[in-house]
Amino acid sequence: MSGPRTTTIGAPTRGAHAPLVTFEGVTKTYSNGFTALAPVDLSIPAGEVLSIVGPSGCGKTTLLRMAAGLSTASTGTVRRDVERTSYVFQDPTLLAWRSVQANTELVARIRGVGRAERRRAATEALELVGLSHVAHSLPRELSGGMKMRVSLARALASDPELMLMDEPFAALDEFTRERMSDELLRLWRERGFGVMFITHSIREAVKIGHRIVVMAKGPGRVADVIDSPSPPTADAAAPRDEAALDALAREIAATLAIA
Amino acid sequence: MSTTIDQTTVETTRAPVGPRKRRDLPRTVLPPAVAFVAFIAIWQILVTAFEMPVYLLPGPADVVGAMGEAIPSLVEPTLVTMEEAYLGFLLAAVVGFGVALLMARWNVAERGLYPYMVLLQTIPIIAVAPLLVVWLGAGTATNMVVAAMIAVFPVAANTLTGLKSTDRNLVQLYSMAGAGKTFEMFSLRIPYALPFVFTGLRIAAGSSVIGAIVGEFVAGIGGGRGGLGYVITTNATQLLMPQLFCAVLAASLVSLVLFGVMTLAEKLLLRRWHDSALPHDE
Repeated sequence: MSGPRTTTIGAPTRGAHAPLVTFEGVTKTYSNGFTALAPVDLSIPAGEVLSIVGPSGCGKTTLLRMAAGLSTASTGTVRRDVERTSYVFQDPTLLAWRSVQANTELVARIRGVGRAERRRAATEALELVGLSHVAHSLPRELSGGMKMRVSLARALASDPELMLMDEPFAALDEFTRERMSDELLRLWRERGFGVMFITHSIREAVKIGHRIVVMAKGPGRVADVIDSPSPPTADAAAPRDEAALDALAREIAATLAIA
Repeated sequence: MSTTIDQTTVETTRAPVGPRKRRDLPRTVLPPAVAFVAFIAIWQILVTAFEMPVYLLPGPADVVGAMGEAIPSLVEPTLVTMEEAYLGFLLAAVVGFGVALLMARWNVAERGLYPYMVLLQTIPIIAVAPLLVVWLGAGTATNMVVAAMIAVFPVAANTLTGLKSTDRNLVQLYSMAGAGKTFEMFSLRIPYALPFVFTGLRIAAGSSVIGAIVGEFVAGIGGGRGGLGYVITTNATQLLMPQLFCAVLAASLVSLVLFGVMTLAEKLLLRRWHDSALPHDE
């Protein structure tokens, strides 16, 4: 990965490459006849944060699992043009008996990355999330927010082009949650990965997304895809148009209410 | 009521470790000690008051009195029972763990083997013991096998539950990273299952001693080495009640030692990370 990029509007590499993942007319019907997803067309460009907001049962996680290659479409095609994908769960999902360092190295270790290389990547990732000082602690010695940051570090350690995040901060308290979304944007500025971010929180979706996908249920479908009027940029100090974002949040809330 | 609860909570959270331990001692040791003394006292009083003949129900004093004489003669049988029970336990632990591993790894193995595990568990062990005596001869081998048969199911069943209850997201993480089934088993499922394995082992610790003694009931002094089961039956037929009580106490000791070793091993292995091995107030 090259260093920080200087594009000021949108994501660092937006439009530079083919989309990482493309959904074309994708549907999902389970064997019991339940339609989880009506036809969806969507693409995730490199370096863009795509947030997906919607009620439970609208097929958000199904979409994410398809992007990860864990689930197949019933009809339509999912094209994945991405080498390194990291998945972040709602829970930290750590091995309780391994140190923070070992947990951060885990995915690289499974993939067969050499010891020195994975140690370097994990050390760097832990530094990035500010947890170098607890590298030798066990998960149970950490707070909820710190555990989630270990989970982020593990995802970062494999240098992903795409981060798939399934309500990663939903289990945290409001204050920690706010800090974690700032953290995510900071990491995004640093590394420039694409993000597919699922959330229940409209505020969170609007805050971090370049585009916000609004989903509805019965059957699960995309109700709207909105370009952020004031997306996060590579410049952390650049002011955001809070009024426009608030208006967008209200608009999304209204869409969700009638959808 | 509520004030009592509040007080306890405050004390536990506030007291530092050192003094708390010392103050906890009366709280943890005193109630069972009082119950024990009361039980012995009531036992002695009843025996004395109703003038119970010793051959029906000896009093605590009779049992203690018999100990001096009984203990030297109980050493050898205790060692025999220990050998049978512990070897049987070891066999059950290895076989039970191995079978659970097979069943967790291959669904076919689970479907094929589980009914027979259950069957093994439902067969009254006392009914097959004579059969084993015929096949294996009346001796240590038979009693060890009886012990293993009775102890294998709790190990296998608990281990299997543990291996199959691994966090789904962790399993997903492993498979997304391309982990093989064997790697997943050793790196994720087995460590995750350890608390379950130890639950099984602790149950098996008691079961294996029961198995060994049942085996001895049936096998008698076969092979020239009588265990505690043999001592118990001979004392019972001769109505030597104080001696019988001593043998029963020795048998509990055999299973208590194994149980203690398992509990200690669990604490040492899991104390750093698992909730079940943590002090309660943490």
